[in-house]
Amino acid sequence: MEQTQKTDVIVTEGVTKVYDADGIPVNALNGVDLTIQSGEFTAIVGPSGSGKTTFLNIISGLDAPTEGKVLLSGKVLSEMGGNELSDFRRDNIGFIFQAYNLIPVLTVEENVEYIMLLAGVPKAERHDRVVAMLETVGLKDVEDRLPTQLSGGQQQRVAIARAMVSEPAIILADEPTANLDSKTGAALLDMMSQLNAETGMTFIFSTHDPMVMESARRLITLCDGQIDTDEMK
Amino acid sequence: MFLILIKLAWRNILRNKRRTIIASIAISIGLAALIFGDAFMIGMMENLIKTATDSFIGDAQIHQQEFRDTREVSMTIQELDEVGANLAKEANVQYFTRRTFAPGMIASSANRSAINLVGVQPSTEKLLSQIDDAIIGGGFFEKANEHDIVIGSKLAEILEVALGDKVVVTVVQAKSGDYFEDWFRVSGIYYFADAAMNSGMAFVRLKKAQQMLAIGPNVHEIAIKFTSTEYGQDKQVPFWKTYSQHGNEALSWTEILPQLPKVFAMSEYSKYIMGIVLFGVVIFGIINTLFMSLYERMFEFGVLRAVGTRSFGMARIVLFEAGALAVVSILLGAILGFVLTTIFANIGIDYTGNEMMGVTVQEFIYPVLTIEQFTVYPLAVFIFTIVAGLYPAWHVAKMSPVDAMRRSF
Ligand SMILES: Nc1ncnc2c1ncn2[C@@H]1O[C@H](COP(=O)(O)OP(=O)(O)O)[C@@H](O)[C@H]1O
Ligand SMILES: [Mg+2]
Repeated sequence: MEQTQKTDVIVTEGVTKVYDADGIPVNALNGVDLTIQSGEFTAIVGPSGSGKTTFLNIISGLDAPTEGKVLLSGKVLSEMGGNELSDFRRDNIGFIFQAYNLIPVLTVEENVEYIMLLAGVPKAERHDRVVAMLETVGLKDVEDRLPTQLSGGQQQRVAIARAMVSEPAIILADEPTANLDSKTGAALLDMMSQLNAETGMTFIFSTHDPMVMESARRLITLCDGQIDTDEMK
Repeated sequence: MFLILIKLAWRNILRNKRRTIIASIAISIGLAALIFGDAFMIGMMENLIKTATDSFIGDAQIHQQEFRDTREVSMTIQELDEVGANLAKEANVQYFTRRTFAPGMIASSANRSAINLVGVQPSTEKLLSQIDDAIIGGGFFEKANEHDIVIGSKLAEILEVALGDKVVVTVVQAKSGDYFEDWFRVSGIYYFADAAMNSGMAFVRLKKAQQMLAIGPNVHEIAIKFTSTEYGQDKQVPFWKTYSQHGNEALSWTEILPQLPKVFAMSEYSKYIMGIVLFGVVIFGIINTLFMSLYERMFEFGVLRAVGTRSFGMARIVLFEAGALAVVSILLGAILGFVLTTIFANIGIDYTGNEMMGVTVQEFIYPVLTIEQFTVYPLAVFIFTIVAGLYPAWHVAKMSPVDAMRRSF
């Protein structure tokens, strides 16, 4: 385990998001101020519609806030150009979505490899890293399978492998267990928790599953687009 | 990176096989039609040129200047001996033959008809024109009888004459303007699809014609066959200048039948229009196919964008897919076009008897395959398909990943 100085990886200042739902403004986020430090294992919880997805999209630069500022590893997202932002995501953020993370026509290896291809990692190294990463998430000999030949839990583990393979500073997971049964979901969270401890990568995930919340070391509750509670465990 | 793009493109177009097949059949039919259309056009041109030049005109002709406009019997070729001697020495001249022309009247016991009386040298005329090949009764001056006349089957029908029957031909002599009349016996009947030749001409020996017209050893026309057809179409060769002296003019078949090259230029033009219309349809087909396929995979595109694909990278994925579709369609279309054209290149297409641009088609049209049909056209299809892919590609490139992923749920 690395003994690194804790730094602020994510800082949001007064982040507000107003959506336009057919002419009617929807306040998805209402002034969120939050600081997340490196190595955290943080859950963002709240009922459906509370703004979890919106928040994750904004801190990853997938979406722009209506007002406010987001700093990622000290860089202001809104000041980055399109390609810069793409490359920044590629190198600094690993994504795990609720479902359908993987490109169905690509094999497991190709799915995990893709980001390294974008980054221009040499072929031999790519293969080694894919195999090592799959082993880390407890999957062996599935490189040549297509996503549809895997169970839901296995698919999410491949998604974790893809998110982590380029060793980003931050892993963002939007309800990663929502499509899994509770046992598989719990196992997946355990794995993420363990990987967080081992690698020191920052994990932020959203959930509304109480059992999943248990494993978080910091719990941020969102309600109507505002931080309701913020507790360390 | 390249490899994964090809894999993505290829596997994605195989994902919905039916849609891919429908789209590529549309494109490949377009390509096959273009290949066949071009092959047919070339075949038709060759056919028309061959018909026009081989049946009577030849590759080139020499006359006294203005003879073609006036058809004056006195306007014979100048310095004929010199011209003849020179032609005999020309390396590019395969054959040449002398002819006289005179308007006249042919009469049988039953009927009379206006004709063009042509005096020919049977031995060289045979090599140059196809009248001897078109004989359906009798022969083409096989016996040494100066009163032999060869006429078309339609003229024989008008005159109600058969082989061996007697006819009388009247012409106007040069200079004096006197009428001159002589009798002939029908020794050969030919059939030509071309109406003017079949009913409006009568052939006699050159000597006899010269005597009737009182033009001495002179002739009105020398028809020439070159060793290659291309030579006759090349206006740069010295031939034309050399034989356009002494008040004569040497003309290529392209000038004698100016409508033919013009029509070829026009058919070239219509080919482009056909191509553009065809590809307009194809482009909409491709855009539609790509969009259907894109909308089904919005979430995937969102994921690819989210994990760090630049917008140009997104566009590239779509363009590769368009390219893969193009490759499949081109293969299919080239095979289809090749098979179709080869079949008709062997059995031929029957256009005989139809008149096109003043030339009556005598033989089947055989489409001609060329390298361009399988290089230029497929390349054009490929480029068109990629161009058609630009709009969907742009659409995907500018799409926000958040919208893409939300829309799918
Ligand atoms: N594109 C959008 N247009 C309009 N309203 C939106 C859009 N995205 C989200 N919302 C609204 O914003 C609020 C927060 O949504 P979201 O962030 O998805 O919540 P959660 O992930 O917690 O369920 C909800 O009321 C939702 O309906
Ligand atoms: Mg959500």
